[in-house]
Amino acid sequence: MSSVFASREGLTRQMPVEGRQYSRGVAVSMRDVSIALGGRTVLEKFSVEITAGEFVAIVGRSGCGKSTLLRSIVGLETPQAGSVTLGTTLQGKPDVRIMFQDSRLLPWKRVLQNVTLGLEPSFTPDAKNVLSQVGLADRAHDWPAILSGGQRQRVALARALVHDPSLLLLDEPLGALDALTRIEMQELIESVWWNQGFTAVLVTHDVAEAITLADRVILIEGGRVALDEFIHLPRPRTRGNSRFAALEDRILERVLQRRSVELRGDKTRTRIEEIDAH
Amino acid sequence: MSGIQRRTRKTSLSFQAIVDHAAPWVVPIALLIFWQWASSTGMLPSRFLPAPKAIVSSFIELSRSGELWTHVRVSTMRALSGFFVGGGLGLVLGLLTGSSRWAETLLDTTLQMIRNIPALALIPLVILWFGIDETAKLFLVSLGVFFPVYINTFHGIQSVDRGLLEMGRTYGLSGWALYREIILPGALPSILVGVRFSLGLMWVMLIVAETISARSGIGYMTMNAREFMQTDVMVVGILLYALLGKLADLLSRGLERYWLRWHPAYQAAR
Repeated sequence: MSSVFASREGLTRQMPVEGRQYSRGVAVSMRDVSIALGGRTVLEKFSVEITAGEFVAIVGRSGCGKSTLLRSIVGLETPQAGSVTLGTTLQGKPDVRIMFQDSRLLPWKRVLQNVTLGLEPSFTPDAKNVLSQVGLADRAHDWPAILSGGQRQRVALARALVHDPSLLLLDEPLGALDALTRIEMQELIESVWWNQGFTAVLVTHDVAEAITLADRVILIEGGRVALDEFIHLPRPRTRGNSRFAALEDRILERVLQRRSVELRGDKTRTRIEEIDAH
Repeated sequence: MSGIQRRTRKTSLSFQAIVDHAAPWVVPIALLIFWQWASSTGMLPSRFLPAPKAIVSSFIELSRSGELWTHVRVSTMRALSGFFVGGGLGLVLGLLTGSSRWAETLLDTTLQMIRNIPALALIPLVILWFGIDETAKLFLVSLGVFFPVYINTFHGIQSVDRGLLEMGRTYGLSGWALYREIILPGALPSILVGVRFSLGLMWVMLIVAETISARSGIGYMTMNAREFMQTDVMVVGILLYALLGKLADLLSRGLERYWLRWHPAYQAAR
């Protein structure tokens, strides 16, 4: 499997893994995208190509433009320059869904009605299916207010999944959850992505989470891609794995680069050169 | 052992509960008894304040003759029609200025200026414009009711969670659907606060309007009784206002409890 993931210019990569579907996902192509918010440049000539069905994690420090990147893909921000292009599916225009850090459930609608938001009543059976897929079939008639944070995010996930998305954007959806719930949610997200074949883009500040879930980790710094790393570990991934730990160290080191340079001087700089050479 | 303990605690709890429930009523009942005693000994002259018993019998007499219910019906109709006209206008204008920047720029400053005029200060003008018939009362009640509904609707719409709106748009909601699914329900708690305020003001405005001049209604009954020194009828009128005010408040609380049953603050009460 790792040999398949090895290519860096992997636009034509295939993912010949047993049991994994790819038909539904769409490719995302961002070319020279520049976005300034309130006079501050957030993304500058940012380019990335995401393959259909790929799981990409985007990491970076707070305010590096990770969320803006996602929001520009879904159309919540309009780039001042450059283009964001999505591939097409058999059904035509791809369905793009976004999950936010807060669940953004409508508190005045019961769980089931939240899942069917914007859909005809005929979708209710589908919504019930998806709810049982995320393990909340018995909470369909509860108000969101009485659910826990993790349950709310699962409802938000169900709300996105009922649309059969071709592209699922995850804007730090697990950021506010406790450690145990996070692990559960990571497993859930990985399994629905695996089974449904959509393209997933996850924004996170947690490098371990990025490595656990993604085929590819992209680090954004100064509005550009600073690191684009393919993860060759077999799924499901465990943190105990030594390759996992090494990878996490390496990426984390790179994320913290600026501060490390100030603190440790030349020694760190050599190490970064090593990483770049790698 | 634990069963016995639990039972003992339950008994003491229920005794405590009785005491807790009864305590707030001790003072009013004592006052009532004192009042009755003071009236019957002549210490409190009945032209000043009638005895509680006299008030009760006058209430029974008035309701038996049907006179009371006619007045109550007339007053309630006035209050409600004023409430619907004023509250309806407040709701529509609040929705308009809350949702459209353009309408806000155009209207809000003007409305805020008018709001600062005490509605009751307009009475001389109102009498000049509408005379002393029903229109004047309708105008006064509507005016009083308008502003609480307007301001709270405006505020409610403005404070709808931007995150939810954004989410709704990514789910393809726009126009009326966005309004119905997100903006209106999001503004509803605030709108209902406005409704509760306005229900209080509704009776205040009505009392003033009916006291100035009327040929029917509770205010008329009270003012008419004053001419004949029927202090018992006057007190019945005053108590009726209190009762109707309380009823309106209960009604709006009921609406809140139903419409906001999703709200954590109302779930405990359910």
